Amino acid sequence: MHPLLLYWRRSLLYFAAWIEIGVILGVIAAAAAGHLPYLEGIALGVPMMFLLAFVCLTPHFVCRSVPLRAGAWKRLIRQHLPATVVASAIVMLVGRVEAGALSSVWPGLDTLFAKATPVLTIFVALTYMLSTALHYALLEIESSRRAELLAREAQLKALKAQINPHFLFNSLNSISALTSIDPARAREMCIGLADFLRASLRLGERDTVPFGEELALTNMYLDVEQARFGKRLRLVRDIDPACETCEVPALLIQPLVENAVKHGIAMMAEGGEILISGHRDRDLLRFSVANPFDPEAPVQARNGIGLRNVRARLEARYGSAAKMQIDATERHYQVTLTFPARTS
Amino acid sequence: MNTLRAIIADDEELARRILREYLASEPDIEIVAECPNGFEAVKAVNDLKPDLLFLDVQMPKLDGFEVLELVDSAVAVVFVTAYDQYAMRAFDAAAVDYLLKPFTTERFRASLDRVRGRFSAAAAPPQLPRDLKLASRAPEEYLERLVVKDGPRVHVIPVGKLDYAEAQDDYVALRSEGKSWLKQQTISGLETALDPRRFLRVHRSFLVNMERIARLEPNTKDTWLAILRDGTKIPMSRAGYSRFRELAGGE
Repeated sequence: MHPLLLYWRRSLLYFAAWIEIGVILGVIAAAAAGHLPYLEGIALGVPMMFLLAFVCLTPHFVCRSVPLRAGAWKRLIRQHLPATVVASAIVMLVGRVEAGALSSVWPGLDTLFAKATPVLTIFVALTYMLSTALHYALLEIESSRRAELLAREAQLKALKAQINPHFLFNSLNSISALTSIDPARAREMCIGLADFLRASLRLGERDTVPFGEELALTNMYLDVEQARFGKRLRLVRDIDPACETCEVPALLIQPLVENAVKHGIAMMAEGGEILISGHRDRDLLRFSVANPFDPEAPVQARNGIGLRNVRARLEARYGSAAKMQIDATERHYQVTLTFPARTS
Repeated sequence: MNTLRAIIADDEELARRILREYLASEPDIEIVAECPNGFEAVKAVNDLKPDLLFLDVQMPKLDGFEVLELVDSAVAVVFVTAYDQYAMRAFDAAAVDYLLKPFTTERFRASLDRVRGRFSAAAAPPQLPRDLKLASRAPEEYLERLVVKDGPRVHVIPVGKLDYAEAQDDYVALRSEGKSWLKQQTISGLETALDPRRFLRVHRSFLVNMERIARLEPNTKDTWLAILRDGTKIPMSRAGYSRFRELAGGE
């Protein structure tokens, strides 16, 4: 299917633009035939142009199979010249049949059409060639955009792979406190922190990871935060085991959990509950993180890349098949990601 | 040497524990309170009037700098935080020291030496933090919220909810959501702390939220009245009017 025809509005716009060309076609036919009235010329031209509008979409497939490359001009001519001839012939043949049919209303139209045929053929062939050139231009734009998106995703992932230094410093401070109070817990926390760092480096190198591994990483992170915040951080997990084998972009959900702690729990004197849920709904995976927050908490320096980054990565990878939804009430914040569940 | 009375303000239990542990070996320092959030820190400092305050920056309710704005006793402040980007602001707010988490006992003792230096006979008494709090703002960084004392409690006004401020002797009256709040501050001080694109000094005694101005009416020959959305009339001086024209794009 041609991309122009995938959407209603695009198709309408496309054909509307062609009405104009149809009128020109009619006027040319009328002028070339010498004494053909304009109305009749247009009656002949507009249906032809609708056909031409369809025919001018076909270079899409030819252009895809014959990419533009330096030195490939012989191949280009070999492919496009016959296509142009065939396309023009079809349009002209249909035009002739149409003129024949219309000549019962306007006698003599078929002979006038025959007279205008050379000029019309050239016009149709040129239009088809122009459309071919435009299709190449569109393909170029499309491929450069895709390259840009891929580069962007790589860049966004690199940004995410950076570990928040304040999380590290605060955790190290907790460990420092524990060394004298409870050396066994200090050691546990050291190991927990090391596990988290190692896992996040490992995941950061990969493109996609099983959802289960991504979840395990957030659990390592939350274990460390649990030691820092104690009873203030309460966790509820509701994870459907069917999700765990799905492949997800690496380090995609980690920032959501970090935000829930940093902007939610850490800013609440009495702490609160973070609900992490993941469900598989046929071919969609739905993951959400919900947390309470204090609307009157001091304004924190936000690095701003967190959520925007997640949204941009989802879009770069899944396009319109994925969505990120934010539900915020006065004291409650929830981010839900929905994206195609793919298993490798 | 006299005993110094200290308060620890940090929301993390373990962060308070380590300060407590380090201070246990300092006989001349006595911990009189530990506060897990900004509100409690303000209340404890104002009630107990300590000599020394160990203060975290990121805390629930009020951050460390907001706490300093609201305390009225002279107290020596040592910031204790994982963030290095507030150091300039902290020293501008006359902090005695700035400890980065995690820190060694040696670094902590050096900090206590500075504190003791402050209290030795030769040195000047610690300044009221408020004296310097205006300087504590980094350039081009404006307040997002105002904190005022409401009896023993603390009231927070997001700047978007401030309609206007009126100078009243040593105070400013802050008008927000149909209520007035008094804050010990000069109107010029408030003006420099707020984003000049959002708040305009329309008169010697008035600072107005631009978004609240519905229209202007001529008053006397050279002056105007700014009519706010709720109908309040605010006098606008000639200078205020030209500043308004400049900000509104000169229409």
